[in-house]
Amino acid sequence: MASLMQSLKRSMPAWLTGRRLVIGLPYAWFLILAFLPVLIVLKISLSEMQTTAVSGMVSWQGAWPSIKLDVSSYLFLASDELYLATYLSSISYAFYTTVICLGLGYPFAYFMARAPKKWQALLVMLIMLPFWTSFLLRIYAWKTLLVNNGLINNALLAIGWIDSPIEMLNTPFSLMIGMVYSYLPFMILPLYANLSKLDGRYLEAAADLGCHPFKTFWLITVPLSKAGIVAGCMLVFIPAVGEYVIPELLGGPNTLMIGRVLWDEFFSNNDWPMAGAVTIVMLLLIMLPLAIYNKLQSEGRA
Amino acid sequence: MENASKSPLANEPLLRIEGVSKIYDGHIKAVDQVTLNVASGEIFALLGGSGCGKSTLLRMLAGFETPSQGRIYLGGTDITELPAYQRPINMMFQSYALFPHLSVSDNIAFGLRRDGMAKEAIAERVEAMLKLVQLSQYAKRKPHQLSGGQQQRVALARSIAKQPKLLLLDEPLGALDKKLRVSTQIELVNIIEEVGVTCVLVTHDQEEAMTMATRMAVMSAGSFLQVGSPKAIYQQPNSRQVADFIGSVNIFDGPVKENHTHYLLVQCADALLRVPSIQACHDGIAVGVAIRPEKMALSRKKPTAKINHVSGVITEMTYFGAHTSYHVKLASGKVLQVQVQSQADEDNADLSWGDQVYVSWGDSAMVLLTQ
Repeated sequence: MASLMQSLKRSMPAWLTGRRLVIGLPYAWFLILAFLPVLIVLKISLSEMQTTAVSGMVSWQGAWPSIKLDVSSYLFLASDELYLATYLSSISYAFYTTVICLGLGYPFAYFMARAPKKWQALLVMLIMLPFWTSFLLRIYAWKTLLVNNGLINNALLAIGWIDSPIEMLNTPFSLMIGMVYSYLPFMILPLYANLSKLDGRYLEAAADLGCHPFKTFWLITVPLSKAGIVAGCMLVFIPAVGEYVIPELLGGPNTLMIGRVLWDEFFSNNDWPMAGAVTIVMLLLIMLPLAIYNKLQSEGRA
Repeated sequence: MENASKSPLANEPLLRIEGVSKIYDGHIKAVDQVTLNVASGEIFALLGGSGCGKSTLLRMLAGFETPSQGRIYLGGTDITELPAYQRPINMMFQSYALFPHLSVSDNIAFGLRRDGMAKEAIAERVEAMLKLVQLSQYAKRKPHQLSGGQQQRVALARSIAKQPKLLLLDEPLGALDKKLRVSTQIELVNIIEEVGVTCVLVTHDQEEAMTMATRMAVMSAGSFLQVGSPKAIYQQPNSRQVADFIGSVNIFDGPVKENHTHYLLVQCADALLRVPSIQACHDGIAVGVAIRPEKMALSRKKPTAKINHVSGVITEMTYFGAHTSYHVKLASGKVLQVQVQSQADEDNADLSWGDQVYVSWGDSAMVLLTQ
């Protein structure tokens, strides 16, 4: 065994140490599966559409390569107000989804973390349970609940609270229901993981110093769970901005979301450079604030 | 160390614990019928091993646990049902529980802010506290940027900032390394005395209890074994358990052979002991005779006195600098610990392993243990 390791070691080039391998693997993973695709999208966004495929960016003029960048997609993106409106609307839907998920998820995670130990595993299971059914199916099920002659309207009509069905499906309301419903577990789980680790002595120390439990929650529990709040909000906000399925199935034609614009650019308009540009701008819109936030965080800690 | 502690009988003691019990799951008695008075200005130590109930008792004083039975009075007021945040009692937590997201000064100000004190008054008080614990230049630091000793001082400052009627200390020096502990002990007592706050402290370290407390209780299985000044408990332990727990001790076992007015004769395996006692014991009853290692003397020559000495062989010898510790094996197989001061040891400088020696002690060195 040892001799095998030795011969293996000898056959490896000198620069390839175990340490480099361990650190290098995640980087390689990131480069190949995250960074490279983004570069490809960037390249597409700067190309020209030629009927069914994008043009090559590099052409050879004798020995000299000439690189042609076509920024017309970005210019169009900037000139058409609909794109801006869609970005803003996507971000605001994602924002409200995040806020509502936080509002619902925090108390849920809080009481889960404080529940007797034997219940906690069960509660975590219940949170995960929806994932065992198809996401598409669950969203579709909401459709049948919210539609004019659906379960909710029929029930309300039957007990006489309303005279005519409430228009719920294909409104911002139904969109928000679908978004919050789908993303709530992504808020609860990191919050629960964080809150269950909260040291009870801090709460006792606060009480000991004359702090009412309600005030302790705001002064101690919430600040100490900041990492969980940030993680939960990111896990909800980032995918929510680009969400396509929920607005498509529950949002109706009037809810503007960037995921649907992307779909249209790709599959209806067949304009890949435009779709690429929409993606790149969206990426920047999400990444830049996060990068700035991270920088401020690390500076604040130093 | 013997403070001017007022007699608890003269007037209402600051803290009165009356028959307090804490029972978990209907039958586990963590604290069992404890009654105690602590006078104003006392530093009272609860000493015991882990699981003896000392921490549970302290937590009931702080208000984190409710007694299953009994009442707790502070300055004559029943505080048994009062929630922790309404008690004029502050606690210095074991490993401190400093709020990690707040700076040193915000940690100290935390309790003051809850009282709705004016901003200027809070700033003034925080500054005074920082000065008291000599941490003024660290006001803006976060707890994790401080050393263990500094964190301990912040915790102390935070717990006395509100000028509590009663200060609770939960293993106050437990998280510090041994060297730092000794200097911190003195510093802590000085600060407590400077502020003049009454203290109840919990510790498993008998040295810590002895050096800091004016009075202490030795706890075991939820109840008090003995309550008294450190000196009284060390010199007159009332039971085997207490004698064993406080310092090291040699205990001779045997039945009472004869009863006299001022002394008893106890027949042990290795010697007949003449133990001064005003307590009458039935003949034949099994008792223990406790003798501290430092109250014993060693010599090669047979002592002139007829009683209160035994002979044996040195089996172990450890030099500590100020004193030397010997293990002496007696004929019965019992091993005695004998501690000899280095100065007194000059006569015995040549003692070594395997030497036959006599171990002797004075009358007053013996304590009769009937339980």
